Amino acid sequence: MVKFLKPNKAVIVLQGRFAGRKAVIVRSFDEGTRDRPYGHCLVAGISKYPKKVIRKDSAKKTAKKSRVKAFLKLVNYNHIMPTRYTLDVDLKDIVTLDSLQSRDKKVVACKETKARLEERFKTGKNRWFFTKLRF
Amino acid sequence: MVVSKKTKKTQESINNRLALVMKSGKYTLGYKTVLRSLRGSKGKLIIIANNCPPLRKSEIEYYAMLAKVGVHHFNGNNVDLGTACGKYFRVCCLSIIDPGDSDIIKSIPGDQ
Repeated sequence: MVKFLKPNKAVIVLQGRFAGRKAVIVRSFDEGTRDRPYGHCLVAGISKYPKKVIRKDSAKKTAKKSRVKAFLKLVNYNHIMPTRYTLDVDLKDIVTLDSLQSRDKKVVACKETKARLEERFKTGKNRWFFTKLRF
Repeated sequence: MVVSKKTKKTQESINNRLALVMKSGKYTLGYKTVLRSLRGSKGKLIIIANNCPPLRKSEIEYYAMLAKVGVHHFNGNNVDLGTACGKYFRVCCLSIIDPGDSDIIKSIPGDQ
């Protein structure tokens, strides 16, 4: 009886090109909209996970391995598996419905999301979110 | 591990309560609508048949854990659960949205 599909909830995308990837809900539309008359949400997720860094790696290699590629998507609730984890990253100002309208706006938003996710990864918090789901 | 033997009495009482919910309350039958009721925080109690596939059972239980909703494992398979609901089809899982006159929500989740 508690609503759990709220912003900052970590979810796993189940269908589509990004199936199996972890994402975080930025904005949820429980009642749907005119274009999408079903419950859906705007998620920002990881398209390419950062690779495993070992002690032997040089600083240049660490930097290269810690890169993250992000994606933004509007996903149906049926195509998402919610988890008990949350990710407290402030993406509300960059990731908006408006940023999905055109290609270059989306690229700009993705780049900014990538930067924020990378800095969160480097602090070492939310380790679960940045590890690839093995299946 | 002692498995508590479910007596005939409690099973009957669950069936009675379920019948009352069917008559006076609101419910949805079926996996898709159960998940939808959990997502929209409408479900108050979920009942799962005992021959539900384990992956689906775990998924419903996980959703219910996130939504803080009780899950009751019905002592019977989907055929029995369908009969208990008064339907002529099989019901693997159902979600009670509004119990109506029944006290199923208060009495059942205690004996999960």
